[in-house]
This record gives sequence, structure tokens and C-alpha cells, in this order.
Amino acid sequence: MAAEPRGSGRFRLWTLIPLALLAVVVLGFAATGDSLTGLVRDNPPAADEFDIRRVEFHPGEIQIRVTNPQHDDLTIGSVTVDDAIVPYTVDGRQTLGRLRSSTIEVPYQWVQDEPIAVGVTSSTGIQTTKEIAAAVETPEISGRSFLGYGLIGILVGVIPVALGLLWLPSLRRAAPQWLAAFMALTGGLLAFLALEALSEALELQAVLPGPLGGPGLVLLGASISYLALTFLSRRLMSGEGTGGVTGGLALATLVAIGIGLHNLGEGLAIGSSFAVGELALGTFLIVGFMVHNVTEGLGIATPIAEGRGSVSLGRLATLALVAGAPAILGAWLGGFITSDVLAVVFFAAAAGAALEVVVEVGRHVAHRAPGGLTSGYVLGGFLSGVAIMYVTGLLAG
Amino acid sequence: MAKKLSRKHFLAGAAPLVAAAPIVHLGLQQGASAAVPSATHLGHDHEHAAMGHAAMVGEAAPSIARDAAIDALLVPPQALPHEPGRVREYRLHAIDKDIEVARGVTFPAWTYNGTAPGPVIRATQDDLLRVHFANGGSHPHTIHFHGIHPANMDGVFEIAQPGETFTYEFPAKPYGMHLYHCHATPLKKHIHKGLYGAFIVDPPEPRKPAQELVMVMNAFDTDGDGENNFYAVNGPAFYYARYPIRVSRSQTVRIYLANLTEFDLINSFHLHGEFFRYYPTGSTDHFEYTDTVLLGQGQRGIVEIDFANTGLFMFHAHQSEFAELGWMGFFNVVD
Repeated sequence: MAAEPRGSGRFRLWTLIPLALLAVVVLGFAATGDSLTGLVRDNPPAADEFDIRRVEFHPGEIQIRVTNPQHDDLTIGSVTVDDAIVPYTVDGRQTLGRLRSSTIEVPYQWVQDEPIAVGVTSSTGIQTTKEIAAAVETPEISGRSFLGYGLIGILVGVIPVALGLLWLPSLRRAAPQWLAAFMALTGGLLAFLALEALSEALELQAVLPGPLGGPGLVLLGASISYLALTFLSRRLMSGEGTGGVTGGLALATLVAIGIGLHNLGEGLAIGSSFAVGELALGTFLIVGFMVHNVTEGLGIATPIAEGRGSVSLGRLATLALVAGAPAILGAWLGGFITSDVLAVVFFAAAAGAALEVVVEVGRHVAHRAPGGLTSGYVLGGFLSGVAIMYVTGLLAG
Repeated sequence: MAKKLSRKHFLAGAAPLVAAAPIVHLGLQQGASAAVPSATHLGHDHEHAAMGHAAMVGEAAPSIARDAAIDALLVPPQALPHEPGRVREYRLHAIDKDIEVARGVTFPAWTYNGTAPGPVIRATQDDLLRVHFANGGSHPHTIHFHGIHPANMDGVFEIAQPGETFTYEFPAKPYGMHLYHCHATPLKKHIHKGLYGAFIVDPPEPRKPAQELVMVMNAFDTDGDGENNFYAVNGPAFYYARYPIRVSRSQTVRIYLANLTEFDLINSFHLHGEFFRYYPTGSTDHFEYTDTVLLGQGQRGIVEIDFANTGLFMFHAHQSEFAELGWMGFFNVVD
């Protein structure tokens, strides 16, 4: 065909041609029904098992949230608790289309703290069973539980970060090579958080119903947050005039955002595990999270210390909230709302954000640190960051 | 839990055609006697209870809608007087059929004549029993009767391929409560899919009049994991909890009881509020006076109850798990 000048508006028209042809082929294939695949063999029968998404325990009642992960409609046939058929009612539809959910309500005198198994059998006789390690009452949304989850978020998020920020005065007096070491330490701890969030996201997506899950969802979440943070860092940088490298308060803000996204996911995980009785929030665990997260405050303080400019207390408080307060929001979401998809997206976003900040910190260190990226202080700092997170993470495991 | 594919669609086959044919031809069978008890429908008094066994009576019990074919299994054909050489003819068709084994749950069963268990076969000792078997299913099947008969009538070597027929013919003996089932391999599969039923041989000296019932204990593994999901007598889970069996206090209740539960080693029958005479296999006068009997697969016997009181009396497997998975019902004893 004749070459047209580049930039001609007609390229848009040409892009439609493959799509139009695809539509023709798809319609043609659909018109043949099963006869093409039938050349090989009959299709296997459809899978017909429900997913049990969440089990809640209320006085005299068990609520079972089920989703149909299959392509075809599924009907709830029979419900069992501890291998006994029980009467039930369905809040929602009995027959669920693809990815639709209903809540099954079972009047039941469950036994506090004892293991229990609930089963949902489809009308085709296929049973899905979910075992709960210990039946404990699911908190209702009330002023009391709202306050409780909020306090958990403050304890594991805001307070440790704020305490870590108190290292600022001491960091301001540190020699440049030590400051570089602490910057590298910040990079190490963020790298640790990025990996942790990524593995959490991948783990959570694996148990999502097939069509919702997939590592693609994780990649999407991580990419969006990475690019958003890159965009944000360019905006912040333009205000500071640091010669192409983010530093000082701008970098501290980025670090705080990355950590904040991570704490959002962490709060959500803690809240939902606690709500469904999978996690016992003992003193030791709370302390573990606090020790683990105090390092995050150090990570925010270091770039500020390096920036040399004076920073108001209000600014510092804001940074502590940006990094820590999402844990509160996460705890509320996890405690009161069922959404594994949300958890995957949050952790993926945290992974992307933390990775982006690692890159920013790396650039900064390469640019500013005496001896650059390969100095002993920097390497040692990075490794220490990872090691500290690992060791304190054992407390919160 | 591992994902399992259902396997219900490969059973379509010729089932509807065969099922449409006239089903049981009960040889010399006449109309049911007036003394025959009938299942009843409970009133509304139990419907609003939320929990416990009260939630498993009448409308609240999660069983299937009233089904005449299931009701027919409860009452055996009438006993006939001793008349050596008389021919008793039955027709059994193996049919692949999706049956409702609990409220809202279907199972791709293999059946004799469309129900699991199959129809009750009854003869008097020394009758010449003639059973015409037609295999309308998708797999090879046989009928193996318990009792005394020639080797070539044993249902082990007489495999009927799909579309084939075979006629079993032998004198009925010894008297007692027996059973029949498919003996094609894999045996476990052919039994748990539903190919079994009760086989009653009456003694030359008639048993004393009674309200006669048949209960074949069975179970269904609907998701193919080698463990039963539903337990029952005569088919659907909780059927006699939803439709309690009405019996009269003035006459003995006689239950022909058999265990054809697959996968589980034992099953049992327990009656509330009363004792009964249990005649193992029913072939002698020997009995045990008890309220609970334990049966391995293939074991059977005759239960005779003289109710002293009226009201709702529960009966169930004394394996609590079986009871709570459907093997539970009620007698409604009336004056």
C-alpha cells in the first residue's frame, strides 16, 4: 500500500481493522458451537464447588459467606456444621451466578474457642469445607470495636513511627558517612518491606477465586503505585531544586508514603485475621509489631537529617501520620469488611511504592554519599536494614 | 480442599427411555392391605423451632418433596400363603438416573427401577422366583441375591452388558430378610451408586399379622471422596423426619431392616422410648430384646416393635454423625 505520512489521523482507522476481523472470527467460532472442540473430545463437566470466603460467629448464629468461582451458575444445596446437616437461610440468592456471593445464616450454638468446620454442598453434591481453628465471636461494628481497631492501628502504626522519628536530633549530629549508612539502612528496610508486601500479595491472590486473582493483579497494583510515586517524586523534586535527585524532606515524604502503604496492608491483615479468629493479638505480638515498625521512623528521619533544613514539628507529625495512620484505616477495613481483593491490591501497591522509594534512596545515596554506593558504610547500612527488619520481624511472626 | 470435577453429565444414555417403560411387575401381588401404615405429614406445631432436633421435624427437616416412588419402598408387597412351586415374577431395570438424595442435592445414581434402594422383592419360601433383569444403564451390571440358589444364578458370572437382559430363576429359600445387589466390578462403585434392595422370603408358616415396613440403610458419597455426604433409609436424607411414619399402637410394627451402606464399616438402628425384638436375618426364632442393633454391610434382620405409648418417637443410626447427616426419622404412634 502507498506510504502515508506518519502522524496521519487515519492510523486510528487502521487500528480498528484487526479488531473488526477478530470479531468476525469470534462470531464464526461461536456459531459452530462445540463442534470444533468436539473433534478432539467432549468437554469435561463443569467444576461445581463453592468458595467459602468468610465465616463469622455471632451469638447463636454462624454466617457463611460463599462465592461462586465457576463459569456456570451454582445452587446452594446443603449446609453442614461439623459434619451435621443444619437448617439455614440464605441472605441473598440461593443460585449464584459467576463471582456472585451470598451469606448463609445458620442458627447454631457453637462452642467458644473450639475448632469447627463448616461445609457448603452444591446442588450437584460437591462439598466445600472450611475449618476454623477456634470459634470466637466476630466483633460487630460498634463504637467500642471501632475504637479497639483504631487503637490497634495506632499501636502498631503511628506510635512506632513517631518514636523512630525521635532519632532525628541525634541523626543531625552524625558524620556524613554515618548518615549515608543510615540512608542505606532505610533502603534496606524498604527493600525488605517491598519483598514482604510482594510475597504477601502473591500469597493472597493465590487463594482468590481464579478469575479475580492471578499475579497480573499484583503486577497491576504494584505498577500503578510505582509509577504514581515516580510521578510524585518528580513533582516534589521540582520544588526543591536538588539537581535531579530527590533528597531531604521530599525524599522523607516518599519514604513515609511507601511505609504508609505497607502499614495499610499490615493493618488490614491484622484486622481481618483478628476478626475471623485466625490471629490471637497477644501483648507479645503487638510489641513485636511495634519494635518492627520503630525502624520505619528512623527511615523517615534520616533523609530529613541529611537535608539540613529546619523542619517544623507539625511537618514531622504529618509525616508520622502519613506513614503510621494507614494502619488504623487498614485495621478498620480488615475488621469490618470482607475483601480479599482489597488486601491483594493494598499489598501490591505497598510493594510497588516501597520499591520505588528504594530506587529513589539508591539514587540519592549514589549521588550524596562519600564513596558512593559501594562504600562500606552504605553496604553495611543496607545489610543492617534488612537484618534488623528480619530479626524484629521474628517478633511479629 | 482439592477441587473436584463433577461427573454427572456422562450418564445421560438411554435412561429416560427405559424409565418410561412400565416398571415393577409385581407378579401375583394384589392391593395393599388395610392394615398397612402410611407416612403422614406433620402439622405446623414444629415448624418455627430454630435449633436442635426440633428443627429437623416436619417442614423444617431438609428433605425432598413427597415422592410416591420413595413411599412405595417403605411398604413391602403383601405376603402370600405357602404354595410350593408358585411362580413369583419381578422385573428389574438398571437405569442411570439423577436422584435427589437430600433437599436440593442431586446424585448421578445407578438404580434398579429408578430408586436407590431398588424395589422390594418378596416371595414365600419354595415359590419359584423369576426376576427378569434388563440392563438399561451405561455399565455392565448383575443382580446378586443373598440366600440359597444354584451357582449359575448367583449374579457373579451372569454379567449383563448395557442393553442386554438376563433372567434369574430359583426357588426362594431360606425364609428370612435378605437383600440383593449388583456384583459387577468395581463392587464398591456399583453398590454405592445405588444398585441394591431388600429381598424378603416369608416362612411356610405365616408370621403373625403386623404393620410391615422395609428399611434399607444407605448412604451417598456425592463428591466422590470415598466418604459419604448423606445417610438415610430408603433413599433421601431426613425423609421420615419430614414425613414421620404413622403407625398404630394396637398392632405390632415389623421392620425388615438391612444395611447397604458403603464405605462405613457399620451402621445401626436405634429406637427411642421403646424396646424391640430383633431377629438376626429373620431365618430362625432366635431374637434379642434391645433398643439398638449394629449391622455390618450386608447384615440384615427383622425388628418387631410393640409400642406401649403414643406420640413422636425418633429412630436413627446410633452413629451420631450418620444421624445428623440424614439417617434419622420419627414414628408417629397413634391409637
